[in-house]
Amino acid sequence: MTSTDTGQRRRGTDVRPVITDLMDEDTILAVAGDAWISLVGEDEVLVPIPGDLPGDVLSSWVDVVGPWTGSVVLTTGRATAEALSRALLRETAPEVLEVEDVEDAFGEIANVVGGSIKAALPGPSGLSLPQVGHAPLVRNPADVCRVEVLWRGEPLTISVQGALPPLPVPSS
Amino acid sequence: MKILIADDSRVMRQIVIRTLRQAGYDDHDIVEAEDGADALAKVGSESPDLILSDWNMPNMTGIECLQALRAQGSAVPFGFVTSEGSAEMREKAANAGALFLIAKPFTEDTFREHLDGVIA
Repeated sequence: MTSTDTGQRRRGTDVRPVITDLMDEDTILAVAGDAWISLVGEDEVLVPIPGDLPGDVLSSWVDVVGPWTGSVVLTTGRATAEALSRALLRETAPEVLEVEDVEDAFGEIANVVGGSIKAALPGPSGLSLPQVGHAPLVRNPADVCRVEVLWRGEPLTISVQGALPPLPVPSS
Repeated sequence: MKILIADDSRVMRQIVIRTLRQAGYDDHDIVEAEDGADALAKVGSESPDLILSDWNMPNMTGIECLQALRAQGSAVPFGFVTSEGSAEMREKAANAGALFLIAKPFTEDTFREHLDGVIA
């Protein structure tokens, strides 16, 4: 049996949600707040006030692959990432933190925040292992939901950003 | 009781151990494993009474570890402590024979809720 491609089907599959169709900043703040209380400490709060990130920043992120595909990226100053790592390690924190300690702790925060974000998105989706380094580039500015917070007065951003370029705009 | 904690994150293993203590389970031997393969080997060498495992780990995931254990005939009690808390993952975990799934982020209350009756 043959079928005629009218373009209707193709246009149908081209409908891809952007993150702002699926969640808002309040959801990200709630998810991050719960992660902070659990991992960092009961009295640790994230204040939703923007701040200027320093020049030396570090990012940690996990990728979500599914009906929506992208990354959940935390970015903060390197010194703040180290302070976060110490807060997670508490009494087991070494006197001098190794790079691996910061990658482990800061990555784990991204893992927990990303896992909760993934659970709030349509599934089924896969979740990657956390990565730490330079944040992945924003591919489509319309597919980003971003919050800016202060932790202990230091700025930190959480960006839920699509990994795919924008869909082409039909010519007619 | 001997509890095996499998997570590729050292800091998360520390947090799980700390939360166990805060939840009142502070009189148990703890064994750590850094991925599913390590956990599988340590079930053989350490004979734990309970496994608390992450899901996403390099080398061997938590669910692969659980499936390998059951395939070997091991009935060691197994629960997940993971950021994968969706209904789909909970169903997969239960179908593979997990007793429970504790989603990260967790609190000591979450631990008590799932572990009372499991940890003697």
